[in-house]
Amino acid sequence: MSRQPYMPIALVVVGLALLPLGLTSNTVLNFLAFAMIITLAAQGWNILGGYGGQFSFGHAVFFGTGAYAMALLQVRFGINPWLALPLAMALGAGVGFAIGYLSFRARLRGSYFALVTLAFAEVFRISANAWGFTGGAAGVLVPLRIGAEHMQFADKRLAYWLALTFVAATLALTHALSRSRFGAHLVAVRENEEAARALGVDALAVKLKAITLSGAITASAGCLYTQKFLYLDANLAYGPWISVEALLAPIIGGLGTVFGPLVGAVVLLGLGEVTKTAFANLTGGAIPGVDLVVFGVLLILCVAYAPRGVLGLAQGWLGRLKGARP
Amino acid sequence: MTSINRRTILRGAAATGALIAAPGLVRAQAPAIKIGILQPVTGALAQDGEYGRLGAEIALNEINAAGGIKSMGGARLQMVFGDARSNPEGGTSEVERMQGEGVAAIVGGFASPIVLASSQAASRYDIPYICDVGVSDQIVGRGLKNTFRFGPGFGNVTSTAIENLVKLNDAAGKAAKTVVIVHEDGLFGAGMAKLLQTQLPPRGFEILETIAHPTPSRDMSNVALRIRALNPDLVIPSSYYAEFVLLSRTMQQQRIRPKGIYAILNGAASNFRFVKEFPDAANLVMDCNHWADPRKPKTAQVKALAEQGGRFWLYNTPLNYSCVLLLADAIERAGSADRGKITEALAASTFSDHIMPYGPTKFVNGQNMGAAPVNTQVQNGDIKVIFPSEFADAKAVFPAV
Repeated sequence: MSRQPYMPIALVVVGLALLPLGLTSNTVLNFLAFAMIITLAAQGWNILGGYGGQFSFGHAVFFGTGAYAMALLQVRFGINPWLALPLAMALGAGVGFAIGYLSFRARLRGSYFALVTLAFAEVFRISANAWGFTGGAAGVLVPLRIGAEHMQFADKRLAYWLALTFVAATLALTHALSRSRFGAHLVAVRENEEAARALGVDALAVKLKAITLSGAITASAGCLYTQKFLYLDANLAYGPWISVEALLAPIIGGLGTVFGPLVGAVVLLGLGEVTKTAFANLTGGAIPGVDLVVFGVLLILCVAYAPRGVLGLAQGWLGRLKGARP
Repeated sequence: MTSINRRTILRGAAATGALIAAPGLVRAQAPAIKIGILQPVTGALAQDGEYGRLGAEIALNEINAAGGIKSMGGARLQMVFGDARSNPEGGTSEVERMQGEGVAAIVGGFASPIVLASSQAASRYDIPYICDVGVSDQIVGRGLKNTFRFGPGFGNVTSTAIENLVKLNDAAGKAAKTVVIVHEDGLFGAGMAKLLQTQLPPRGFEILETIAHPTPSRDMSNVALRIRALNPDLVIPSSYYAEFVLLSRTMQQQRIRPKGIYAILNGAASNFRFVKEFPDAANLVMDCNHWADPRKPKTAQVKALAEQGGRFWLYNTPLNYSCVLLLADAIERAGSADRGKITEALAASTFSDHIMPYGPTKFVNGQNMGAAPVNTQVQNGDIKVIFPSEFADAKAVFPAV
């Protein structure tokens, strides 16, 4: 055990923060910023799903709430984005608490919980698509006002560093959580809820705390998404794509680990980007979608040969390098 | 027995090398100008994206074959293609890549969300952006100096559609009184339904019901059965390709025959694929949509080129073809690949050598003021123009039964 437990996080974050100084291509910066947004959403999922064992299929509900709140607070109420962001996160946390209260109190677990979250995300999507306040099917457009005070950065590096700051904070938070009493309770609930309850763990309270925290973190991803693209509609905010990204990244990276979502998001999106560019150069775009096929195959291989995620695979290799001692 | 030895391989490699290098030698006169062509060629909108790209390709080939940009010493236009993957992120990331490759301008986008996000991304680098289809009125209402839309917007299309519907109905002695609206629940379908609900009743139509359906939908029987139960004179659908094809086939199977099917901005009713694959279901369906001008001689040439290799004639192709020509004209007048100069030239554009029924371009806040939709009707395996009457090549068949 290291005596400075936050050292690895600090190293990774500093490393990521220095990246834009070397790689100045806008494509890379764009990719990095988007990867950080997905990392945030995935980290939110990881706290509930990875540590708490409550697999949500509808994290879009938190992402979308954050995204819409961020956009609507600015467009409809003229609130500055720096103020809108904590409000949107609080709203995400509130939605998390509400969904958690309704489903955990009804003792929904496993696939039932997954289905309920999926249903909530769909209900939110359809409502946002129909309701005039959210712009209906036409969506909301945040006016382009470049300036740090509007959280719209002329320099893409600033946007990336802002997202990275959030990622750093959640990495530290997740790490602290994994070593805290609450974290231990959460893992206990994941491993065996009855046993945990028999030992005096208030399973409902633990799960509620986890989903509330998870909602806030994933909502922050939605906020940053809004500021990056400045346009939202119901399918972007509450669509299944983000639910899938949020759960794929930790699964690929390593479930219930601090770095899993980050590794997963970078590998997943990086792989997509590399196959896209490679095949665009190779075929000249003659066969559209061939990169997606390759991406899918790589994903299957990844899941088949690294069931504990990329981090698990790396640990296995490291262990073998050091020489397995009895 | 012959075996492949080192010499054979070397000879082959030399020949291949020469082949690859040869066009480069011919082209080496003036530096090429890179043009970004952005289309969704994977995902839900892949068909539209493919036909959009086709139009852009035809235009680029034509310009290059005619000697490139003359004011720049015959500089060729080189396509930098980007797959927008049917979503705004895909579009934005391709804009970033195009910026990295140094494109002079970007044409395309197709769907409104993609256009909204990618034109905004392009505006950060002052890349001129010509929207090909996206009809959302927000696209040109944001004050982005780099964004131009050659085609008509949503408000324009729907008001024209309603106007022409009234004319059509009056000419038929007010044959249609009751209406059922079927629409997809996305941006354009939902917006249109809302507009029709307020605009049609004052014009003497009774709306029996408005039926929304999501995209994608894989079964339209319930919608068809509802239409049968309501028995309206007129069905007004606004959906994407697959859903409308499904609906019209189901209606045909169920023998539901209203007096007319009057589509607005419909994915299928102005699409020769639908007409060729389901001639009976398609017959006499009307649409108000983008359509190439049948009077212009170049329309037939582009159509012939587009239909090579068993492809179909869709509005995406002439729109993108025209947008690329419009851009080439602006570059020609700017005499430079400088983005600011191209934007200025576009804003001052009075280009008329396109194949859409618009007249010379005139941009106000990025919107081409002359742009207008056309009413078409499928008649015996062909798509005919029925409105505006100045260049209609057929008379509307209404009521159909």
